[in-house]
Amino acid sequence: MSVSEASASDAPSSGRVERHLLIDRVYHWSTAAIVLALMGTAFLPILGWKFEWVSLHWMTGIALVLLILFHITRALAWQDWRVMMIDVGDVRDAWRRVARTFGGSAPPPGKPGKYNILQKLYHLAVAILVLSIVASGLLMLLKIDTPLWRRDPYWFAPETWGVIYSIHGLASMAMITLLMIHIYFPLRPDEWWLTRSMFRGWISSKEYLDHCDSSRWAASDGH
Amino acid sequence: MHLFRFATSIYGDSDVVIGASWDLLPWFVAAGAVFIIGHAIAKAVVGARGRSD
Repeated sequence: MSVSEASASDAPSSGRVERHLLIDRVYHWSTAAIVLALMGTAFLPILGWKFEWVSLHWMTGIALVLLILFHITRALAWQDWRVMMIDVGDVRDAWRRVARTFGGSAPPPGKPGKYNILQKLYHLAVAILVLSIVASGLLMLLKIDTPLWRRDPYWFAPETWGVIYSIHGLASMAMITLLMIHIYFPLRPDEWWLTRSMFRGWISSKEYLDHCDSSRWAASDGH
Repeated sequence: MHLFRFATSIYGDSDVVIGASWDLLPWFVAAGAVFIIGHAIAKAVVGARGRSD
């Protein structure tokens, strides 16, 4: 059997393939709630909704920092971080797909592993933006009084503060674009199998065999 | 439309950047909308072409 010819024997007999553990789903939905809260406290005042947003924003931001530290630690220590890395097979299959879409005679693209190349690129983009936002946001905390520290705006020159604030603002606005895309894809019927898995944690054996290459992502039913 | 927000420096002799311009906000929303509409159209066209083959 070639690597792309997955058969029913590659899927667990339970009929379910575990995709997201409960802890990862809790992390995902917690992050979603935190990001929406951060966007609300950031952009609603700009759009004219006046409320005391600064405290809400920085405290929610600290919660996001903790979630990201949890995610990075878990990805490096307990998960296989390589599933999110773009590999040669991803690039080859993406090229074949584009070539065939435009009428070329490339061989059929293979199936991806757990994540396809667009999901990996999306994750990379979000990682760059969120880390930029978090790093600049942590520095911006130096300019506000909190119960834990007193403000000290003299850490940086005004020009440097301008760069820090610009990075925070531009990356935050770019997150709106990525968030819109992130909401769009799970709503598409052809992506519902992935959407369901972020609620219940698993995909069916048929969905696994239809969409994934078992040699690139070995199935497990979690037992 | 400006890319950045400016303020007068504490010495009063120049403008300094104080952050990104919020005028860009609609453009980022528009970029998301363009991607979504473009992708939906592309998928519909490719799907229709696949069914007719």
